[in-house]
Amino acid sequence: MTTPFPFPREYSFPPFFTRQTNLTTHHAQLTKWSALVLAYCRHHRLFKLSLSDDTDLFHNRALSRRLALADAREVIEFLRKDGRAEYAGGDAAATADGGDVVWIYWRTPEEWAALVEGWVEETGQKGGVLTLYELTEGDATRGTELHGLDSDLLQKALSVLVKRGRAQIFGQEDSQGVKFF
Amino acid sequence: MGNNSSRVTAQDKAILDLKTQRDKLHQYQRRITVLTDRETQIARQMLAQGDKKRALLALRRKKYQETLLAKTDGQLEQLEKLTSSVEFALIQKDVVFGLQQGTRVLKEIHAEMGGIDHVEKLMGETADAIAYQQEVSEMLGGRISNQDEDEVENELAALEAEVNMTAQIRHPSLPSVPDTKLST
Repeated sequence: MTTPFPFPREYSFPPFFTRQTNLTTHHAQLTKWSALVLAYCRHHRLFKLSLSDDTDLFHNRALSRRLALADAREVIEFLRKDGRAEYAGGDAAATADGGDVVWIYWRTPEEWAALVEGWVEETGQKGGVLTLYELTEGDATRGTELHGLDSDLLQKALSVLVKRGRAQIFGQEDSQGVKFF
Repeated sequence: MGNNSSRVTAQDKAILDLKTQRDKLHQYQRRITVLTDRETQIARQMLAQGDKKRALLALRRKKYQETLLAKTDGQLEQLEKLTSSVEFALIQKDVVFGLQQGTRVLKEIHAEMGGIDHVEKLMGETADAIAYQQEVSEMLGGRISNQDEDEVENELAALEAEVNMTAQIRHPSLPSVPDTKLST
């Protein structure tokens, strides 16, 4: 949890932070940045990125190099095409003022859905009722990948299962529960 | 959607309510734990500054919060016991239902078999038929053995003599080899 993130070699390479003009190099640059963003968020278990935040992801203080906001958006766009990013607030917000908060899916909602289903299967909780709170904050999931999962992302994952008819969500806002079939 | 009515029963909703209460208590405990940790920190700081009175105050507050924690622990246990009982009762209900189904099917099969009397009569008829068959076999089998028994015995004696003869020809009795030195 608190181990520092191991940055890849290119992070110490100043041109990495400058948009390359050569098409091939640019593509390679985008690919490397995408991988870096995913790995960074996975390591720190960040589910959302705020593009205006001055984190050490886009800003290498040792090199005094920073990836420009427009270039960061390009990386996000690259991830979006791969289904690994999504602007919180929908595409409308993205095009209007360029959204600031982005979901980074180092694990997509489908992948989370599979994880949830797997855990429910393993612990023999099919047919039982679980609160959404206990799925991410309860003692039962402590130590598993599910613990600490963002609740909005959990909702996304669960709706994948609901669509497939594998689960049903019920209850009032703030105290919702889910039943798995 | 709306194809079928919700697969969530009233009992599920009841269990959800119980679990929501448990979650609220859980969250409350976490809040209190944060407070107790802070009080310990404050106490340490006060001692470092040499303010023993304030440190004592912080520790007293922490003690009070810890009793709150203990009380909520008890309540949590009650809630969890009740939730387990409800869940277990649901399982038992399923078991009873399963038993009902199974017994019903058994009864149906018994009815198809026609009842105990019918089975007894059937067994009796089967035994008669088998006995009849035995008699017939004995009659047929017995006749044959009476007629040919002697002939078969004669054939066996002849074969036996033949076998001994061939054994003699193959291995005629040879003179025994002297085992002492011959006198020349």
